[in-house]
Amino acid sequence: MKSIGKLEYYLLALIAITLFNTFLGEQFTSTALVSVLIALTVTYKGFTVIDHFMELKGANRNLRFLMKLYFVIFPSLIIVSAFY
Amino acid sequence: MKNNPINRSLGIFPKSWSEEYAGRIPGNIPIWVGILSELTEFGIFFVAYFIAKFYYPEVFTQGPQSLHTSLGVTNTIILLTSSYFMAKAMANIRVDNKPKCERYLWLAFFCGCLYLIIKTWEFYWNDLQGFGPSTSEFFTVYYYMTFNHFLHVGWASCAILWVIFRLRSGAYSAKENAGLEALAVYWHMIDLMWILIFPLLYVLR
Repeated sequence: MKSIGKLEYYLLALIAITLFNTFLGEQFTSTALVSVLIALTVTYKGFTVIDHFMELKGANRNLRFLMKLYFVIFPSLIIVSAFY
Repeated sequence: MKNNPINRSLGIFPKSWSEEYAGRIPGNIPIWVGILSELTEFGIFFVAYFIAKFYYPEVFTQGPQSLHTSLGVTNTIILLTSSYFMAKAMANIRVDNKPKCERYLWLAFFCGCLYLIIKTWEFYWNDLQGFGPSTSEFFTVYYYMTFNHFLHVGWASCAILWVIFRLRSGAYSAKENAGLEALAVYWHMIDLMWILIFPLLYVLR
């Protein structure tokens, strides 16, 4: 049997996180903790796609920095919005 | 590709951004100009979302509960899977396995079409429930973001067909695949935008 490769592992992890996020949103009333958890998982998902699917890991460091910065700024705003 | 002529001649970025100083640019510089422009555009949408949520917190708490969450989750999984297929297409062109590369491109294309069909169904379902762009501030932001994203998936799916045509005509190989890689990074950018849109509109209450 063909062993599971890195890309397959990342895809499964991304799908699992998506389902986990949905579960959090559906089952719990939106608390600051839920928002923080969702924001962190969104950052992880973004970083995973940027590094392993988009293959910016080891590529142009400025483009990688800008892409990752995007996934730090907007998830941070999710956390900030939890305290409105 | 490293030292791609289009990356050398387009001197619109500072020297410190060049391939020699900062590392290889996947695809080519023009596609990155496009990607950074799209990120700015979506960034404005996200800022608009947070401002609207600040002024209308009640509407943004109720809004996601009115949406068909299952369709949103399905579309998220479809887009993540399409990104995987695109990464596999790139991996296969690098070893000159063109038939397998083409197969993965078709799979990514079908994922794009499936996304568009599901999104159209979701818009129709919203309409049946009586929800439209002017229902509330939440739905205005929802339609603004999702329809814009819908258009991006649409034209990028057409671009996959163009790349398949180019692949079949022998334009890409293990040594020269910048055009294919440019499409791949653009497609991943579309997936990344959905990764942000999904929790904002469907999950956070």
